[in-house]
Amino acid sequence: MTAVTEPARGRKRSLNLSLALCFTLMAVVIVCAIFRSSIAPDSPFTQRLEVGDKPPSAEFVAGTDLLGRDVLSRTIHGARTALVGPIIVAAGAFAIATILGLLSGYLGGWVDTVIMRWVDFMLALPGILVAIVVVGVIGGGYWTAVAVLIILFTAPDTRIVRSAVLEQRPLPYIDAARSLGISKRRILFIHILPNILPLVLAYVALDFAFALVNLAGLSFLGLGVEPGTPDWGRMLFENRNILFTNPLGLLLPAGMIILTAVSMNLIGDWLFERLTK
Amino acid sequence: MMREGVAGLILRRIAVAIPLLFLISLGVFALVHIAPGDPVRALLGTRASDPETLNNLREKYHLNDPFIVQYGKWLWQVLQGDLGRSINGNRKVWNAIAERGSITIALSLLGTAIVLVFGIGLGMIAAFKRGTRIDRAMVMFGVFGISSPAFVTGIFLLYFFGVVLGWFPTFGAGDRNFVDRLWHLTLPALALALSVMAIVVKITRAAMIEELDKDYVTFARARGLSATRITFAYVLRNALIPVITAAGIVVVGLLASAIYVEVTFALPGLGSLTVDAVQKRDIPLIQGTTLVFSCFVVAINLIIDVVYTLIDPRIRFGKVES
Amino acid sequence: MSDSPLLEVRGLSITATRSTITTGTDLTLRRGESIAIVGESGSGKSLTAKAIARLLPPGVTATGSIRYDGHDVLSLPEKEMRPLRGRRISMLLQDPFTMMNPLMRCGKHIEEMLRGDPRFAGRAAMRAEVARRLAEVGIADPDVADRMPFQLSGGMAQRVAIASSLARDPELLIADEPSTALDVTTQAEIMKLLKRVQLARGMSLILITHDLRLAFSTCDRIHVLYAGSLLEVGSAPAVQRDPFHPYTLGLLLSEPPADRRVPKLIAIRGQVPRADAVAGRCAFADRCDWAQDNCRAGKPPLAALETTRLTACIRRTEIAGEMRALRDTALEAAAAVREAKAAPAIIRVTRAVKTFGAHRGRSVRALKGVSIEVRPGESVGLVGESGSGKTTLGRILVGLETATEGSININDVDASQFSALSPEDRAKVRRTIQMVFQDPYSTLNPRHSVRRALREAIGTGGPAALATVDQRIAELLKEVGLPENYADRRPQSLSGGERQRVAIARALSVNPKVLVCDEPVSALDVSVQAQILNLFKRLQAELGLSYLFITHDLAVVRQIADRIYVLYLGEIVEEGPTEEVMRNPQHPYTRRLLDSAPR
Repeated sequence: MTAVTEPARGRKRSLNLSLALCFTLMAVVIVCAIFRSSIAPDSPFTQRLEVGDKPPSAEFVAGTDLLGRDVLSRTIHGARTALVGPIIVAAGAFAIATILGLLSGYLGGWVDTVIMRWVDFMLALPGILVAIVVVGVIGGGYWTAVAVLIILFTAPDTRIVRSAVLEQRPLPYIDAARSLGISKRRILFIHILPNILPLVLAYVALDFAFALVNLAGLSFLGLGVEPGTPDWGRMLFENRNILFTNPLGLLLPAGMIILTAVSMNLIGDWLFERLTK
Repeated sequence: MMREGVAGLILRRIAVAIPLLFLISLGVFALVHIAPGDPVRALLGTRASDPETLNNLREKYHLNDPFIVQYGKWLWQVLQGDLGRSINGNRKVWNAIAERGSITIALSLLGTAIVLVFGIGLGMIAAFKRGTRIDRAMVMFGVFGISSPAFVTGIFLLYFFGVVLGWFPTFGAGDRNFVDRLWHLTLPALALALSVMAIVVKITRAAMIEELDKDYVTFARARGLSATRITFAYVLRNALIPVITAAGIVVVGLLASAIYVEVTFALPGLGSLTVDAVQKRDIPLIQGTTLVFSCFVVAINLIIDVVYTLIDPRIRFGKVES
Repeated sequence: MSDSPLLEVRGLSITATRSTITTGTDLTLRRGESIAIVGESGSGKSLTAKAIARLLPPGVTATGSIRYDGHDVLSLPEKEMRPLRGRRISMLLQDPFTMMNPLMRCGKHIEEMLRGDPRFAGRAAMRAEVARRLAEVGIADPDVADRMPFQLSGGMAQRVAIASSLARDPELLIADEPSTALDVTTQAEIMKLLKRVQLARGMSLILITHDLRLAFSTCDRIHVLYAGSLLEVGSAPAVQRDPFHPYTLGLLLSEPPADRRVPKLIAIRGQVPRADAVAGRCAFADRCDWAQDNCRAGKPPLAALETTRLTACIRRTEIAGEMRALRDTALEAAAAVREAKAAPAIIRVTRAVKTFGAHRGRSVRALKGVSIEVRPGESVGLVGESGSGKTTLGRILVGLETATEGSININDVDASQFSALSPEDRAKVRRTIQMVFQDPYSTLNPRHSVRRALREAIGTGGPAALATVDQRIAELLKEVGLPENYADRRPQSLSGGERQRVAIARALSVNPKVLVCDEPVSALDVSVQAQILNLFKRLQAELGLSYLFITHDLAVVRQIADRIYVLYLGEIVEEGPTEEVMRNPQHPYTRRLLDSAPR
C-alpha cells in the first residue's frame, strides 16, 4: 500500500479581512463589558419620564426609550450580560461534557450506555421550549437561565466529545500505551484529552454564540434578566412599542446580538478548520 | 425478507418514543410541584381564597395524594383528552390550544417549505461554485443566518419591510381569506425560515462538497456519464443522507423559532399562547401547551428517523458474503 | 493507420498551485499494447493517469501535449471530451467500495452506461446484457446485479467495477492500482482477469502501480516514474533482466525476493523527495550510490540507449558492470538458517479461541483453536490474509484483547487473562513482549515529542529506570538508526520510516524479549520497507530478540522468519521451517498464496 500521506506542512498564516473584523468586534465588546461605566455617555438607569421615547438627537446619539433612558448607554452596559452568561454556559457545559464524553467514549460498556441514553433523551426534548417553561415556572431570572442552558447544552456537547474520543481510541498510539501498561487515567488525560482539546475549543466558541442567542431570547420573552437591567435581549422586550418612534431602540441591540454571534461563529469556524487538518 | 426488517426497525423506533413521551409527561406534570410555593397557589394564581376553597381545590386536584397517584390520575385525564382548565378565564385548555394550533401549523409549514427549497438549493449552488465569490457569499449568509435568532431577524424584517417600506402588515395573522392569511404570514415565515435555513445551507454545502471529492464521482466522470446524472443520482442522493440526519435539529430549531416569531409579530398561535401562559404562571395551560408541543416534536423526529431508515439501504440490508 | 500510436504524450508537466508534480513526461501507446507506469508515493503516477483522461482535480493543471488518436486531449472543450470518456478512454480506480455509488445497485452501474443504446431498450434485453457483462468478468450469478456494492466481497465488487468501466467498450483502459486494496489471493485473480479481458478485446491498457513485479507480469512495457520524472522506459522482460537505472535496480532489490532468503536487503537510503526539491538535477542523485557532480549539474534527459530502451542515467554505460555485480551479490541466497536454541518456548499459545460479538447475536469466530510457540531468539512468521485472525492473535498476546478460550503462556506466566494477573506478573509480561504496529502515521501521539514518548515508555520500569532516562533515550535512538537530535522532534516532522523507527525504539525501551510486529512495513514505501526490514534483522542479531512477525506478504516473511505458521480463517493450516514450507507447500491454501505472489 503506497497511500502514504505527506507530513503536514505549515498552514497559511494570513488572517483574512473578515476574521480580523471579528476579532476587532469582540475586542470592542469585551472592552465595553469591562469598562462600561467609563465609556457610556450616561447612566443606563436614569429615567426621564417627561422626555419619553425620542429619536436620536445631539444629546442622545441613539435616542431614548419609553422611560427616557439613553439607548446608547444601555446598549454599552448590555455588553456585560452578553458576555458573562454565555461564557459560563459554554465553558460549564463543555467542562461537564468533556468528563462525560471521555468516560463514555473510552470506557464503553454500561457507562457508555447510561450516559448515551441520557444524551439521547435530552436531545429528543425541544430544548428551547424546556428552557422557556422551566425558567418561567421556577423564576429566578438570569442565573436560572444560565443553569438551565448549561444542563441543556451538556447533552449535544457530550456527544461531540464522545465521538472525538472514539476517533482517537482505536489508534495505535493508544494501543501502544495500553500494551505498555499505562494507566487508564493517564491515557485519558495525557494522551486523549490533548488531542481532542483543540476541537473542543472550536466548539466552545460556537456554543458561546448559541448561548448568547438563547439567553437574549429568554430575556426577549421577559424571562431572563430582571426588569430594568441593561441587556440586549431585555431591550428588545422593552422597546417593542417604540418601533415607530425610535427604531434604534430595537435595531441597535438587535444588531449587536447578530454581530457578536456572527463574530464568535466565524472565529469558531476558523478554529475548527485550523485544528482539523 | 426485507419488509420484516424495515417494519421491525420502525417498531423499535416507536418503542423508544413511548417511554420518552411518558418521561416528558412526568416532567410536565411535575411543573406544578417545582414552581416555588404551595402548588395550590400555583394552580390558583393570584386569586385570593379562603381555606375552604383551598381545601376543595386540594381535593379536586388530588394534591393530598402521593405524587405517583397524582401523576397517574392526571395522566389518565390527559389520555382521555382533558387537559384541565386554564387559570385565567377558566377555559378548557384543549379549546385554547385547538383554536390557535392552525396558525402555528400554517406558519411552520410555510417556513419549512422555504427552508427546504432554498436551503437545499442554495447549499447545492454553493457547493458547485466552491471557492468563488458566490460560495463565499453563501457561507457568509449562512453564518449570519445561524447567528440571527428568529426574533432578531423578525425585528429587522418587521422594520424594513413593514414599517419603512410598508409592504407587509406588522402584526396579526389575517383572518379574511387565504391570501390575506398568506400576506400576514410572509414576514414571520421568512424570519422563521432564515435562521433555520442557514443551518440547512451549511450542512447541504458541506455534505455536497464532501461527496464531490469522492472516488465515485471521478469514476462516474471517467465512464462518461452526464453531469446531470452525476449531480442527482450520485452526489445529491448521497449528500441528502447527512442532511436528513440533521433534519431533526432543523425541526426543533424551527419550533423554537416559531415561538419567538409569533411573539414578535403578535400572531395568535400556539407559541405565543405558551409564552403568555409562562409569563402569567398559568400552570395547567403551560402543561397543556408543553405536552402538545413535545408530542409534536417527538412525532416529527420519529417520522424523520423512519424516513432515514428507509432511504439508507445500508441500514436495510445486512452485509452478505459472496 | 493502425500502426500509428493510439496515445502520444509529449512533455506532460503537471503542476499544483504551489508545487510541481511531474516534469516533461513522454509516453507512447499502441493499440492493444499494455504499459505500466511504476512509481512510489509522490511520483505523480496517479495524476499522470488522470491527466490523460482529463480528470485532474481542481487546482491541478497539465501542460504539454496529449494526443489520443489525433485528438489533442488537453485543449478539447469539456463537451467534446465527454464522448471520449467511457467510449474510448475509461478508468478503473483502486478501492471498489469508494469507486461505486454506495446507494446504487451493482447492475445499475452497468445499466446506466448502456442506456440510450437501442439494442437494449427493453427491460429483458437490458437484464440479459448486464448478465452477459457480469459473466465476462467472472460473475456467473446474474442476481449479483440486484445487490448493493457493500454486500459483496472486495474481489467481486472490483469485478463489477471492471464490468462497469468496460460497458461502452473503450479502446483504452487506465487502471490505477486496481488490486492494491485487495487481498493477495484476490489480487492475483483480478490481475489475471484484467489481462484476459484486455487480450480478448484487443484493448490497450495503462497500469499504474507501485509494484514492479506486478508490472513485469502484466505489461509489455515499463515506465519508471520517480519524484515527477521518468527515469527508465523499456520492455518488461528487458528491464527485469537488466535494469538500466540505479533507481529501478534499487526498487527491484528493495522488494524482498519471494523465492529465496537473502542475508541483507539492499535498501535505498533516505526517502522519496518532492519534485520541486530535486528540480534542475537528477531526481535520484541524492540517494544514488553512483551519483557524481555532473548528475547534479542539470536534469538528465531520458535518452535512448537501445531502440526501445530509454534511461535518464547519464552514467549508465560506465556503471553497468557494477550494477550487475550488485544485483548478483544481493540475490545470493543466504546461508542456512541457524537452528534456534532448544530452550523452552517463551511464548506458548494452546488452542486459543476468540469470538467477537457473542452477546449481540451475530458472532464472529476470529480464532478457532490456534496453537503456536515462539522460542528465545527465534523469529516466527504468522502469515495470512485479512480475516485470518492474525492481528487478533497478536493483540491477544500483548493484552489488547482477551482470548475466549485456550491458554496463553508468556515467560512462564499464565497470561490468559491479563486483568486477572497480579501487578508483578503483569509487569513481567509487559516487559517480555511488546508490539510494533502497522500504521506509522498514527503509531505515535502527534502532540508528544519523541523524547516524551520514549520517556513515558521507559518510565513504566519505575523510578529506577527514570534515573538514567536521557542516556537511555540516546541509546535507543542510536539502536534504531536515528540521530540523537531527533529526540526533540515531533512526529509531524518525521517521515513514515522514521516514525516507525521511533515506534520500534519505544517497544524496545522496556527491554522486551519478544516483539510482535503486526504488518510493520506494509504502509511504507518499498524503498523504505527494505531499510526497516534490515533494521529488524540487525536488532535480532544484536539483542537476541524473538519476533512474531505478522504479515500477508510471503516475500517479506521469507526474509525474516525462521519458522512460519500459515493462518486461514482462524485456523493454522500449515507450519514449519520457512524454506521448507515455501519450497514444498502441503496445504492447498498455502499453495494458492504462493502462486498469487507476482514473480
